[in-house]
Amino acid sequence: MLRHLGRCFVHLAVAVAGIVTVAFFLMRAIPGDPAAYMLGDYATADALARLRGQLGLDRSVLEQYALFVARAVRGDLGSSVVTGQAALTEILDSLPASAALAVLGLLIAILIGVPLGIASAVRQGTWLDVAIMLAALAGISFPVFWLGLAAILILSHGLDLFPALGSSGSEDLLTRLHHLALPALVLGFSVSAYIARLTRSAMLEVLGQDYVRVARAMGIPERRILYKLALRNALIPILAVIGVTFAWSLGNAILIEVVFSRPGLGSTLLKAILARDYQLVQAGVLILATAVVVTNTVLDVVYGVIDPRLRSG
Amino acid sequence: MAESNRGQAHGINRRNLLTLMAGVGAATALPLDFSKVALAQGAKALRVRLGSDISVLDPAHIFQIENQTVCAHIFNGLVKYDQATNKIVPDLATEWSISGDGTVYTFKLRGGIAFHKNFGALTAEDVKFSLDRVLDPNGASKYTGQLAGLKTVEAADPGTVRLTLEAPSSGFLHKLTAFNQGWIVSKKAVTEMGEKFKLNPIGSGPFMFEKWTAGSEVRLVANKAYFGGAPKFDELLLRVIKDETAAAIALEKREIDIFYALQQPEMIDRLKKLGGVQVLSRDANHTINLVLNTTVKPLDDPRVRRAMAHALNRKGLIDGFFKGTKSMAHSVLTSSFAEFTDDVPQYGYDPEKAKALLKEAGHPSFKFELTSVGLSPYDKIVVPMADDLSAVGIDTSIKVLERGAYTQARNSGNVQSCMTGVVGPPDPDSPLVSLYAKKSFPPGLNTARYDAVEDLLGKAGTAKSAAERAAAYKAILKKVMTDVPVIPLYGDRLFLAHTDDVEGLVQNSLFTVDTYSVSRKG
Repeated sequence: MLRHLGRCFVHLAVAVAGIVTVAFFLMRAIPGDPAAYMLGDYATADALARLRGQLGLDRSVLEQYALFVARAVRGDLGSSVVTGQAALTEILDSLPASAALAVLGLLIAILIGVPLGIASAVRQGTWLDVAIMLAALAGISFPVFWLGLAAILILSHGLDLFPALGSSGSEDLLTRLHHLALPALVLGFSVSAYIARLTRSAMLEVLGQDYVRVARAMGIPERRILYKLALRNALIPILAVIGVTFAWSLGNAILIEVVFSRPGLGSTLLKAILARDYQLVQAGVLILATAVVVTNTVLDVVYGVIDPRLRSG
Repeated sequence: MAESNRGQAHGINRRNLLTLMAGVGAATALPLDFSKVALAQGAKALRVRLGSDISVLDPAHIFQIENQTVCAHIFNGLVKYDQATNKIVPDLATEWSISGDGTVYTFKLRGGIAFHKNFGALTAEDVKFSLDRVLDPNGASKYTGQLAGLKTVEAADPGTVRLTLEAPSSGFLHKLTAFNQGWIVSKKAVTEMGEKFKLNPIGSGPFMFEKWTAGSEVRLVANKAYFGGAPKFDELLLRVIKDETAAAIALEKREIDIFYALQQPEMIDRLKKLGGVQVLSRDANHTINLVLNTTVKPLDDPRVRRAMAHALNRKGLIDGFFKGTKSMAHSVLTSSFAEFTDDVPQYGYDPEKAKALLKEAGHPSFKFELTSVGLSPYDKIVVPMADDLSAVGIDTSIKVLERGAYTQARNSGNVQSCMTGVVGPPDPDSPLVSLYAKKSFPPGLNTARYDAVEDLLGKAGTAKSAAERAAAYKAILKKVMTDVPVIPLYGDRLFLAHTDDVEGLVQNSLFTVDTYSVSRKG
């Protein structure tokens, strides 16, 4: 078990370092200069050179990278070139809103997707199966920002069930939850489509196994077979899917934040990329990558707990 | 281990799932009476839509209309534009005088003005500090060039500021209006806060900065001690809503009171037809222009440039693409400028005349690259423009660049053409000097490299009377519209919508919205 854990953590560190390195060089490959962005059309060459010097942009990219890594290891991710605030603070400030959306969205997705996937597998080939899979196909096919706009039009404007804005300045928890509900539902619906499809195939695979057939031949009630035998064994692929969809939820949450005017990591990152705010993008990517990789690592550990065969794999 | 596995599998049964789903359903469809909460919040607060998030609220470094809209509520200038008439009227200064030779401006400040959050009284020292920090070449302010020609700023006494210019400048008051470099900051606050001042602005305006929630909202609270009288709202909430459809629904549902920066023609149309909503519009101080590089062949020939102006169906663009929501631009000064005139050479859509002019110039056909930034509507309108130019024999290709790359290409000066708009106050020098003065490139926006109105710009600057100044500007407009180094494509119109229950909103011709005059009915 310890070896399994150790391996997971090594994978975690390598993945985060890789992602951050790629993000660092990709950002610098985009044309456009943060100093020119900040100083505008009337910037003199002197002013530009001075600001580049202040921001460290006059050094070579490799030097900048070495400096970034040396600082990041000490927990210093620099400051936003636009606002002057510590980059880590800005990112961490915007994280709770994104996390709330992603977690609630994922929860809704699991609650919709897993039962529908099971129902679809159990009633394979019936109209119910076809209807669920069609709905899932729609959920996957429609881009999440389109779903968001449609939800605002129908559920907020048409039926007046939810506010059109996905956030409120109110400190009141219930008001905030009410504003969070519609974005979370949209995210949940979109992600549930994946979960339903993958739960269905995982269940179908398990239901076709010999031990299930034997159980049926022994006259064990169908409900017991489904929930005690099949679902338990289908849990590993389902968990794997949920791990992957968490990353996907975070990605979609970024789009949803824009549609629903919600604060969060997405809004902060989008603004930072447009302004060539390197430090802020780097800090954001680092935190996002860490969140995704840590989630997957936790799931790796959980697989090991659920299925001892995987610990030695 | 086996026990826990069993427990996990056992935990998932149909009844539990249904209960959980019902719970989430109930939580997400929380009581519909929440709209009342929004309304109650709205009674004390004025809620305004911002189309994009803010980033910097320090006048020396400010850019982007959203930042400027927030700062318009926080800061004052020595003088300001009357929102309705664009006349320069007193703000922090109650009176001012200009020396006979036009080089010394003396301002008398209002007494008893306090900065927000106990940062002390506003004195001449703060005015000196605010202008000096913009002038400081090491301060990296975007607006150093705006105050070019300002030699010294002196605080003669706490209530008197004296500004000395290197040479008379008839439009200098425009540079001191409450906008960008003209906003006066607290010396104590900037000195104490340093970099933090960028997002903790301290001014003397009707609202005080309270909180910024990135991507969501900016919260300002009323400055009850404001010298013009306390605002009618306790709070001003500027809500970031990027999508116009979502903003329109929020307005309809009374989640916001004012829809600022309304742009989509379909949305303008829809809101105009909606009951309980008013749509305001006004010409902006802003034209969108096709700038032609006059140093490259054959664009160095004015006949070729005139031919291009005749080839472009600008009315078609306004009526078709923009559905009539923009205005015809006769020059780079729109009707919102006091110096506006339509007594300039006009270039109606006339492809035959364009072909004849090209033939006369000896260039019936040539290759031309239309360079645009990849932002709407520029990247879209270049398509019909290229069609129009190709139709008269100009072999036009389109190059759309991402914003950073576009700025670099434009600043290099090596492009045949670019699409340039000049956003600013109703100061005629703002578009005229920016687009036509030799000193405005490099750096700057005169990528046409035009230099034929230097003497006329000088005359306008040293004009002794308003009539002399107006005549000089008229001469400039005639000359530049004869030479057409810049083809004005259309004049921007500003739209904003508000619900019926607010009143007193005066739309300005800047791209900002100032809500100090707004109150709620009843």
